[in-house]
Amino acid sequence: MGNLTVKRKRNPALRFFKPGRYFGVNMGILIALLIIGFFWIYPFLWVVFSSLKTQRDMFTSGARLIPETWEWGNYVRAWTEANFSTYFLNTVIYASAATAIEVVKSSMCGYVLARYRFFGRNLIYGVILATLFIPIASIIIPQFNLIRSMGLLNTRFGVILALSGGAGALYVLLFTSFFETIPEELFDSAKIDGANFFQQFWLVVPLARPIIATVVIFQFMSTWNEFNIPLVFTLSRPELRNLAVGMYAFQGEFSVDWTGFAAGTSMSIIPVLLVFFLFQGYFVRGLQGAVKQ
Amino acid sequence: MSQIAAETVASKELVDDSTSSKKPKKTIPLSMRVKGWDYTWIVLFLAPFLLLYVGFTIYPLVATVWYSFHEWNGSGALDEFIGLQNYLDIAQDRSFWLSFGNTLIFAIVNTAIKLPLSLLAAIILTQKWMWFKRIWRTVFFAPLVIPVALAGLVFDFLLNSRGALNDVLTAWGILERPIDFLGTPDTALITIILISVWQIFGQYMIYWMAALQNVPESLYEAASIDGANEWDKLWHVTLPVIRPVATIILFLSFVNALKVFGLVAATTEGGPGQSTYVVSYFIYNQAFRDMPFRYGYASAAAVLFGVTVLMAVTLQGYFVRRAQH
Repeated sequence: MGNLTVKRKRNPALRFFKPGRYFGVNMGILIALLIIGFFWIYPFLWVVFSSLKTQRDMFTSGARLIPETWEWGNYVRAWTEANFSTYFLNTVIYASAATAIEVVKSSMCGYVLARYRFFGRNLIYGVILATLFIPIASIIIPQFNLIRSMGLLNTRFGVILALSGGAGALYVLLFTSFFETIPEELFDSAKIDGANFFQQFWLVVPLARPIIATVVIFQFMSTWNEFNIPLVFTLSRPELRNLAVGMYAFQGEFSVDWTGFAAGTSMSIIPVLLVFFLFQGYFVRGLQGAVKQ
Repeated sequence: MSQIAAETVASKELVDDSTSSKKPKKTIPLSMRVKGWDYTWIVLFLAPFLLLYVGFTIYPLVATVWYSFHEWNGSGALDEFIGLQNYLDIAQDRSFWLSFGNTLIFAIVNTAIKLPLSLLAAIILTQKWMWFKRIWRTVFFAPLVIPVALAGLVFDFLLNSRGALNDVLTAWGILERPIDFLGTPDTALITIILISVWQIFGQYMIYWMAALQNVPESLYEAASIDGANEWDKLWHVTLPVIRPVATIILFLSFVNALKVFGLVAATTEGGPGQSTYVVSYFIYNQAFRDMPFRYGYASAAAVLFGVTVLMAVTLQGYFVRRAQH
């Protein structure tokens, strides 16, 4: 007993260096992962380091990562001259708005599908499930026509609507299977307390936090990188482009400025990576409940 | 003993499955019944999702089928109804069937490489004794946040005959002369498959990590007591327990791989020759690039492909379910 208490009081920073049962395995895996991991993120590092090279250096450096001279000016150029500040702002607006809409609509739909049996419920569920398994190759023209007939072409709202309209089948299913696991008694007692329909929903939303985190990260990531929709829906208003489209146009307008391009890219991917690094715990727990069904 | 433990869990899941699928059909629990004002609330709750879903998914799908019966360039009046002519033409279009074959190869090989490796990574990166898990997960996840268009550009740089990879391979004497990996018909498709595995790996690793959390810790402990080694635990505990989820992951992976477009557009544009020509690129070419635009024809290709895949998935699902019960 005494032994145990002493062990618990050890400095937590030291636990990595305690040569335990798994020390050998860990060292082996660590070395393997260092090698694999380096090659894995090499293309990634290549972009980030290219953003700090001179144009000539970038083309002649071959596999070498470290720049001859550190060119921070690439970032300044991308941010100001190539409108990356505008694109960045647009991307933040599109991704946040589309993600918020996605969470609200798919959680509400998933809740109702999980909790109530009503006419048409199974049809709705079945159609949502089926469309998950159709490789939708090209539906952008009907989407384009729809947005145009609503008079929303070349507006931020149009882009947001299209971004949050196409996705979501998987998210609804995640929410449905999560809400199905909530015990009936919880709702019964809420009803006795006089909670109405919306209040019952509001009661269980906080429980779905892991699913919400999952939807937020997946949806945020995909809208952050979305290319087709912002491209087609903002053709005549370049100032509404997001980063992915802006970068693409950057290739055309400044066809020689590869290092500025790399700088813009680095700016756009590092925030998303940070989000993942910080939220990954939530993320996994969220999917866990969801795939149980 | 460990096998028995796993089988108990598996059979328990089967029982759970059958009861839960019967429940809605026989008696609907009181709290699930809808009455009075609830109908209004249900409509209000469904409306946001369903409106957007009908507008941006269902309507476009139906419209695509409708377009496929027309000769149409995508922008003028839709008035030249030609019945099944587009489908008859497609049936004889060699480019379409070539791209069909390439897409299937892409999806199958991609899935076959990606799923086992990402499962392995997920298993290693969920071990309690593992060091620096957060960092390694982020490393494997990183390629996912690179926009596809950019990933294509980077690999164009790295893999061309004067790029970094050839630099290294020739310097180490592995290759005698540099290979333009994306520019050689024999290597282009497999190169794109590998780039795609690299890019999407993190997402499937996350799916597997979620699936693995369904395995109760007590099963591993029981297996350890019975003297099972890590390999036994994998085969007799982990895999049987995650099998239902694995089926879903397999289907998602396959269907998503069939949609491959961005990577091809950003690297090879279907070439060299037609060695990386895939269905979505064929559709894109017919609809938006090759003059005159043939949007009706492209729609027919999309419908034919979509229906084929849906049928294949349904059949597969049927057999998998039969095998499992």
